[in-house]
Amino acid sequence: MLRFDLKDFIGGFILFAIGLTAAGYAATEYSLGSLRRMGPGMFPVGIAGILAGLGLVVMVQSLFRPPERADIRIWSPLFVLSSIAIFALTIPHFGLIPAIIGITVVSSMAELKVRPANLALLCLALSLLTPFVFRVCLGLQIAMFDWPF
Amino acid sequence: MELLGNLGMGLGVALSLTNVFYCFLGALLGTLVGVIPGVGVLAAISMLFPLTFTLEPTTALIMLAGIWYGTTYGGSTASILLNIPGTPANAVTCLDGYPMAQQGRGGVALFMTTVASFFGASVGVILLMLFTPVIASYALKFGSAEYFSLMLMGLVAASTISDGSAIKGLAMVALGILFGLVGMDTQSAAARFTFGSLGLLDGISLIALAMGVFGVAEVIMSIRRVGTSSIDPESVKLKAIKPTRDDVRRSWMPMVRGSTMGSFFGTLPGTGPSIAAFLSYAVEKRISKTPERFGKGAIEGIMAPEAANNAADQTAFIPTLSLGVPGSATMALMLGALMIHGIAPGPTLITSQPQLFWGLIMSFWVGNVILLILNIPLIGVWVRMLMIPYHLLFPSVLLFICIGAYSTTYNALSVWQVCFFGVAGYAMRIFGFPGAPLLLGFVLGPLMEEHFRRAMVLSRGDFATFFERPVSAAIMAITGGILIWGIWTSNKLRKRRAEELARET
Repeated sequence: MLRFDLKDFIGGFILFAIGLTAAGYAATEYSLGSLRRMGPGMFPVGIAGILAGLGLVVMVQSLFRPPERADIRIWSPLFVLSSIAIFALTIPHFGLIPAIIGITVVSSMAELKVRPANLALLCLALSLLTPFVFRVCLGLQIAMFDWPF
Repeated sequence: MELLGNLGMGLGVALSLTNVFYCFLGALLGTLVGVIPGVGVLAAISMLFPLTFTLEPTTALIMLAGIWYGTTYGGSTASILLNIPGTPANAVTCLDGYPMAQQGRGGVALFMTTVASFFGASVGVILLMLFTPVIASYALKFGSAEYFSLMLMGLVAASTISDGSAIKGLAMVALGILFGLVGMDTQSAAARFTFGSLGLLDGISLIALAMGVFGVAEVIMSIRRVGTSSIDPESVKLKAIKPTRDDVRRSWMPMVRGSTMGSFFGTLPGTGPSIAAFLSYAVEKRISKTPERFGKGAIEGIMAPEAANNAADQTAFIPTLSLGVPGSATMALMLGALMIHGIAPGPTLITSQPQLFWGLIMSFWVGNVILLILNIPLIGVWVRMLMIPYHLLFPSVLLFICIGAYSTTYNALSVWQVCFFGVAGYAMRIFGFPGAPLLLGFVLGPLMEEHFRRAMVLSRGDFATFFERPVSAAIMAITGGILIWGIWTSNKLRKRRAEELARET
């Protein structure tokens, strides 16, 4: 059994790592300038440095704290996030309707329970409703179908 | 009188057909979102944000603001009928609202909270009308050093006063500022943190960030948790909403006290409607002659918090519109909406955009009247909304988020950004990092950098400028005080919680 709060330790470390990387990157890639005339690198380096420092504080504090149980689930977030990714992949190549069906089907699986009839109805309803709202009411120019072949 | 002339002009703007329509739409959508648990106000505003792109800036703001105060009206419905707060600001309403519903007085509770909401909002709007121009005209004298200090104070207050660890809040502000810096540097035209991507030159999309961190992460957290429960439709029939004379008599003073407290806490950065509602409930319980009735359906226990959170909703606009310094993540989104429409926020807003400012304020009246009409006769409709199963709702929410993001640029990159911030948002929930400071930092980051650099040029590279100019020095001193106080109380809170935990086990 761990004696300290591993969750905060990891969280703090991630912030520390982001801060350090960003500070290092900004310091090498962008000119710092002087305090009188600051270059594009100065402010980012400062902020990233502060972030790294605060991350370090979170890490150190976690060592003196009892562990807290983290509430982590894997499948629901995975399905939700991949449904967004599928939307992003589909829409430029296949158009809106395939993207709607893709995101609806994949995200519905996040419930870890498939209801085929419900799902089919939802796909149909959203495929009719969203084009109506975005194309007709708002006049957005999104292609409904955009087959690559 | 100048004020009356301005009010007349504002009313003219607010009553134009388009603006009334969008005000209605915003209030309607806000109530809807407030009623449905599992979709928060930030998610709602960012989701509907792209819809306002094609509108005039005034109309866009009127609609977004309508969503914001509409959710607080609607949120009480879920609190009372389901014992689930529709928004965090309505959480306290559960304590006495749900027992009232169980006693068959749900209709009375819904009716009276709507009245309290309207009363609180009215007080808030009146203060907003009176104080915003005064503060703005004073702030016209501010230089870059003062602005930097003010923004710093806003960020420090918002990240340390809210619940949870002060250090984590501050870290999220820093991370938010860092995200805000992505894109072209306004002063040197250098591309920063773009890694060669042309799409990132314009910076990270505010909408993608807000929708990912709040919308997507919230959907993930709510899946398989939000259930729909049974409601007795009989208890909310129209005949059951008439309050007794005793109810009315008991409600007056809690409404007045609630509005006063709400107005005060609404203006402060970091506090806002949730804290205002909570404190006003505590005050009512303390000064009541019969504190034992609280928690068992005392009407005072719903009137004070609902008046307070609505008053706070309105007064939150005071610092945002007069100084351009938002006190909460929602106000940061409002500010973002202004900037996307090319309007510079700050004390000059009132004089340079009088139509927008006074039109927006007068639209609050229109919106609150619309909400009054929407809520009282339509209570039954809102109750039915609670019965929409979540498994149909969340794919639709995700779809709207994605199309919304895509429609801002017609580039899949925006959708990928939503995905990225969805991952980040979920990770933040796991690690207990708050999202609101991230958004505030993101919006204020570029402005802060600009003022910081300008102040340093003017002072010839001397940091002392922030402490030598009297106004800036005073703000810095307050900031320091808030910082120390915030860290101290959050440590104390944690210690107490740890002790309780140790005692339980």
